[in-house]
Amino acid sequence: MKKETELDKLLQYIVDGDAQKSVALSEKLLSSGVSVENIIHNGLTAALQSLDSKCTNEEFNLLELMLAGRAMMAVMDKVIIKYLPQSLAESIPEKTIVIGTIKGDIHELGKHVVKMLFKANGFRIIDLGKDVSPSSFVNTAILERAGCIGVSSLITLTIPYIREIKEILHKTGVDGIKVIAGGAALQQAYPEDLNVDFIAKDAFDALHYLTKEQAQDSSDLRNQSC
Amino acid sequence: MTSYERLLTAATGGVPDRTPVAPEVFGVAGRLNGHTIYEYIHNSRVLSESQLRLRAAAGYDIVFAFSDLSVEAEALGCELDFHDDSYPAIKNPILKDLRDIKTIQLPVPGVAGRMPVVLDAARHLRESLGNDCLVAACVMGPVSLASQLMGLENFMYLLADNPKGVEKVLDLATGVASVYGKALLKAGAHCIVVFDPAASPVVFPPPFFLKYEVPRLKKLFKTFKAAGSLISWISIAGAIHRIMPFFIKTGINIATIDYVVDVSDAYNLVKDLIALNGNIKPYSFIVDPPDLIKDSVKANLLATSGRGNYIVGSGCEVPVESAYENICALVEAVRER
Repeated sequence: MKKETELDKLLQYIVDGDAQKSVALSEKLLSSGVSVENIIHNGLTAALQSLDSKCTNEEFNLLELMLAGRAMMAVMDKVIIKYLPQSLAESIPEKTIVIGTIKGDIHELGKHVVKMLFKANGFRIIDLGKDVSPSSFVNTAILERAGCIGVSSLITLTIPYIREIKEILHKTGVDGIKVIAGGAALQQAYPEDLNVDFIAKDAFDALHYLTKEQAQDSSDLRNQSC
Repeated sequence: MTSYERLLTAATGGVPDRTPVAPEVFGVAGRLNGHTIYEYIHNSRVLSESQLRLRAAAGYDIVFAFSDLSVEAEALGCELDFHDDSYPAIKNPILKDLRDIKTIQLPVPGVAGRMPVVLDAARHLRESLGNDCLVAACVMGPVSLASQLMGLENFMYLLADNPKGVEKVLDLATGVASVYGKALLKAGAHCIVVFDPAASPVVFPPPFFLKYEVPRLKKLFKTFKAAGSLISWISIAGAIHRIMPFFIKTGINIATIDYVVDVSDAYNLVKDLIALNGNIKPYSFIVDPPDLIKDSVKANLLATSGRGNYIVGSGCEVPVESAYENICALVEAVRER
């Protein structure tokens, strides 16, 4: 009973964006015998769910998400990482995503939010940074065996470059890699305008889409093996 | 009524002869006149002549003495990454450490960065138009400039770790806006529009806006009014519903609303006390046919029928790759109705 209360406290520290207290409490919980899985599930993931529902309630703001993300990543990097096997997702394409801000744009904040959220959800993220050419996205995705490319932009002038990504994927014969887009200007467009599979309203929207796609892929695999 | 009278009447509680049209037309004016964005933001005559020509052809009621969102940051020493045909971007924030704030001086607008280009454009626009059409100039708001100087991510972390430090950076940014805005008014601008995209509630929660932005906006608009600004105007893109009630406290005349904010809802949020400019979807200017733009304008005219304080506009900047016919469609829709 006491441990559940402490996990609730951890959830609240993360939602409040208090990195120091989140790290200290996570260490205390681990040394008192609480499992890593329990901390991830009832502390970190529960905090994410709480922020996710805020998003859908239109109470969303980037500040709270960034601060919670910083607290969560501090727990992940300083505490949890010691207990997780190395390269957890390296061999799972669906769990590997190449992200970047497209050529012609240098805004990276939204991409950072996506990076934190996806990392906390067990994805392996290859961040190519800003002003990234369409071919770099594709080459890296192939090299890293990624299942998805996440492209970000705040301005409409970059749309022609975004459209190229799928074209290059097609020419290279790797149509299976999903392309999702996000960012203020892109949200006004439709997926067919940008030649992408999905346009995310926010980081959680992208996460829901990929989680759903993963579930679909797993189900298809199960059906094939039957 | 002249364009000038029409817009001022709508902004100050009167009833104009027809609904004014004031889209945020910036770099697209240069492009449609055959110039690159680089030329538009570096050559005051290209800027002002492009503004004059496009306004004369499309028939709307405003011109802008405005280059891009990085003018103030550049004037303070930020290095910019320039492109031939898109707006420049800040390479690196100059305020990585709060202690460096002491080394940053307020700019002298007559010589700092590209401020002289915009001042000269304001002067030429006013000389050309006199009081026939409103010459609006724009400055970056406190939150956006502070975020540019520090990098938005670092500014957010500073807010959590050292709120007093945040106040110092915001005060510096307010000082810059004040100095630059007064110089633009002196050069001939009729009014100042404060752009503060980073002050959106999508970025910072509403209590932040109330505590940090409202007092600084009040101070800024008071300063601009004393320096001759005829109207006070705020433009924050995105879903701003949650901060709109606070606008009343800032003493503004016009608020620009983006396509995600319904016009009728917006009037309720500001208790009908502020004129609204908007809210045609910016992306529509690139991809939609003129008839769809007209439909959107006419729907707004219907929703605001009987009001004098509605001004047709784009919710954010009319994208630089927009079609000319789509800009013309704004005025055509008002005339057809």
